[in-house]
Amino acid sequence: MPVYNLCMRIIRKNIPSLLIYLFVFVGVSIIVSSSSANPQKAVNEFTRKKADIAFISKDDSPLIEGLRNEIGKIANFIDIPDNKGDLQDALFFRRVVYILRVPEGFAQKFIAGEEVFLEKTFVPGSASSAYIDLSVDKYLNTAKFYLEHMDNISQEGLVAYLNDTLSEEATVTVLPARTKTNLSNLAYTYNYMAYSLSSILILGMSAIMMALNDKDLKNRMSCSPISGTKSNLQFFLACLTFSGAAWLVQIIACFILDLENVMTLNTVFFIISSLVFTFCGTALGYLIGSIVKGTEAIPAITNVVVLGSCFLSGVFVPAELLGKSTLKIASFTPAYWFVKANNQIAQLSQFDLSSLKPVFSDIAVIFCFASAFFALSLLIRKTKRYN
Amino acid sequence: MIVKVRNLVKRYGDLIALDHLSFSIKEGEIFGLLGPNGSGKTTAINCILSLLKYDKGEIEVFGEPMTPEAYHIKRNIGIVMQNVAVFNELTVYENIDYFCGLYIKDKNLKKQLVEETIEFTGLNEYRNFRPKKLSGGLLRRLNIACGIAHKPKLIILDEPTVAVDPQSRNKILEGIRKLNSKGATIIYTSHYMEEVEQICSRIMIIDKGKAIATGTKEELKAMISLGEKITVESYDVSGEQLARLKQLPNIVSVEYSNPLIEIKSSKGKNNLENVLEFIKKENIPFGKIYSELPTLNDVFLEITGKELRD
Ligand SMILES: Nc1ncnc2c1ncn2[C@@H]1O[C@H](COP(=O)(O)OP(=O)(O)OP(=O)(O)O)[C@@H](O)[C@H]1O
Ligand SMILES: [Mg+2]
Repeated sequence: MPVYNLCMRIIRKNIPSLLIYLFVFVGVSIIVSSSSANPQKAVNEFTRKKADIAFISKDDSPLIEGLRNEIGKIANFIDIPDNKGDLQDALFFRRVVYILRVPEGFAQKFIAGEEVFLEKTFVPGSASSAYIDLSVDKYLNTAKFYLEHMDNISQEGLVAYLNDTLSEEATVTVLPARTKTNLSNLAYTYNYMAYSLSSILILGMSAIMMALNDKDLKNRMSCSPISGTKSNLQFFLACLTFSGAAWLVQIIACFILDLENVMTLNTVFFIISSLVFTFCGTALGYLIGSIVKGTEAIPAITNVVVLGSCFLSGVFVPAELLGKSTLKIASFTPAYWFVKANNQIAQLSQFDLSSLKPVFSDIAVIFCFASAFFALSLLIRKTKRYN
Repeated sequence: MIVKVRNLVKRYGDLIALDHLSFSIKEGEIFGLLGPNGSGKTTAINCILSLLKYDKGEIEVFGEPMTPEAYHIKRNIGIVMQNVAVFNELTVYENIDYFCGLYIKDKNLKKQLVEETIEFTGLNEYRNFRPKKLSGGLLRRLNIACGIAHKPKLIILDEPTVAVDPQSRNKILEGIRKLNSKGATIIYTSHYMEEVEQICSRIMIIDKGKAIATGTKEELKAMISLGEKITVESYDVSGEQLARLKQLPNIVSVEYSNPLIEIKSSKGKNNLENVLEFIKKENIPFGKIYSELPTLNDVFLEITGKELRD
C-alpha cells in the first residue's frame, strides 16, 4: 500500500511538532488538577445576597408594613418615582430586579377575602427576583392561612403571628461533593482535548493533504498504475489510522492523569464524545486541507480556528463565565457542543434514558458538524477539479 | 511499434496546441521531440500519457489504445515530468522508494532497484537529503531517478535538463544513452538542438503544434539545401575578390566582417576545396579556416524562417 505508507511517513515526519500539543495538553491537565484541589470552595458556602427592589405602596395598613419589613430582610429598597417610564428604565438598567406595587385598599380587601392582586414586575429568569417573588407569596399565603383559621383577628395581631412564623429560617449547608469535583476536573481535561486533539488532527491531516494535492505530484500519480480509487482509499485509511492513534494517545493520557475515575460509567461517555469529536476534527482537517493552498499558512489557520473556537466555547474559561452572545456564536463550532456534552457527562450520576438524552443530542450535533465539514470538502474538491 | 500517434489534435480554447500530429516510435529508439518553447511538446506527452483529454486522434502504446485506466500499460512507462515532482517531506531515498513502490510490489526487488538507481544517478552521497537542500542539477537527477527506478520499457523524459549546468547535463545524457543500451525505448523532449542531436536516433521537429520534419539528424539535414558553412580568417581581402568568391559554384552567400569571411554553400561536392584553391590563387593572406555542417537550427531556420532559439 504505497500511498498509505507515504501518508504514514509524512505523519511520522510531523510527529515532533504534533507532540508539542500533547505535552501542552498533559501539562495543563496536571496543573489544573493539582491547583484546583478544592475548586468548588466558593460554591460550598451558601451566602444570601440582598437584591435591589422597588417597593411602592399606596396602602399604609399594618399588613403591608409587615410585608415591607419581611421583604426588607432579603432586599434593599431603592427609591424610584412612581411612574411607568422611570420604573421601566430602572428595571431595564438593572437598578432593581423587582418592582412590587401595592394598590390602594389592598389590605382591607385581602382581609375581607376579596380577590386582589399585587402588581409585580421583574427581570425574567433572574434568580433573585424569583426568590423575592416567592417570599412575597409566602407572606401573603401564610396571612391567608391565619385569616381562614382564626376568626376576628386584628391586622396587628396577624402581623405579629406572621413575624413569628416567618422568622424561622432554615440553615443551608452544601455538602461537599467529592466525586463530583473530581469529575468536573476530568471534564476539564476532556474539554481541553478540543484544543490539543483538534490542533493535532488538523495539522496532521493538512500535512498529508498538502503533500498529495500538489498539482505536479497529482499528475505524476496519474501516470502510475495505482488507480485513483485505490489511492483515495489508501489515503482515507491512513487518515483513519492517524486520527485513531491521535485519539488513543490522548485518551490514554487522560486515563493516566485520573486513574480514579477510569472505571466509572462517565468515562465510557467521555470516550464516546471524544471519539465523535475526533471524527469531527479529522473532517475539519480535511476541509482546511482542501481549501488552503500554501503549507506556510496551515499553522496560522489552525491556531485561529482552534484557539478561537476553544476560547469561545469555554474550553479554557468555564462556559458559565462567558456572555450569552459569546456562547451563541460558539454554538456554531463543534467545540461548544463537545464542552457542553462533557460538562453534562461529568454531572451524570444516573444513566437512564432521560438523563442521557441531552448528552446524546450534543454528541449528535458534533456528528452533524463532522458530516457537514466532510460534505463541504467534497464539494470544494469537486468544483476545484471541475475548474 | 512502442508508441503510435495518429492525427492528434488538442485545443485550448482557440489555441490549437497540437495540429494533426502523427508519429510512431519503434522499440529501442531514442526519439527526440524538438521544438521551441510553447510548441506543444509537453501537451503531446500529456496526451500520450492520457493526462489530457484531446479533441481528435488515436494513441496506441505497446500496441494497445491508451486510456486513463490502462494501468497495465502505465506499469511499463517511466515518466520524468518537466516540472520536478517529488515530495519535499521525504528524503532522496524515500522519494525514489515511494515512486518505485508504485510499480513494484516485491519489497526485496524494490530495495535492490532503488539502490541501483541511486548508484546510477550518482545520488548516493545525498540519499538522506531533503529535495529542498539539493542543487538544481541534483534535483533534476532525483526527478529522473524517481521516473526510471522501476526499469520501465518506455521512458518519457520531458525537458529533463532545463536549468542544469553543462556537467550535470552531460551526466544525464550519458545516463539516458545507457538506459537505452539496456533496452529501454526513450522519448526525449527538448528545445536544445545540441542535446537532441547528441543522443537521439530519430528526431521530430515541431513548431506551433505541427510536425515540420521527422527523421534521423542526417536525414533532416539532407532535407535542406544548405551545405557546409566555411569561415576564413583574413585581414586583407578586397571587395572585388569577395565578389569573385561569390561567383564560385554552389556558393550562396559571402559576408565579410573583419577579420572573418563567412561563406555559405549549398549542397555540392568539393565546396571547401574550391574555396581553398581560390584563396591560394588570389594570394589572400589567411589565418584559421574551418568548415561546419549545418545544424538542426539551420534546418529549423530554413523550414520555418525563424531561429529555433528565440
Ligand atoms: N492548460 C493550458 N491552458 C491553455 N493553454 C495552454 C495550457 N497548457 C499549455 N497551453 C498552451 O499550449 C501551447 C503548448 O504548450 P506546451 O506546454 O505543450 O509547450 P512546450 O513545447 O512543452 O513548451 P516548453 O518548452 O516551454 O515546455 C502553448 O502555447 C501554451 O501556452
Ligand atoms: Mg514543455
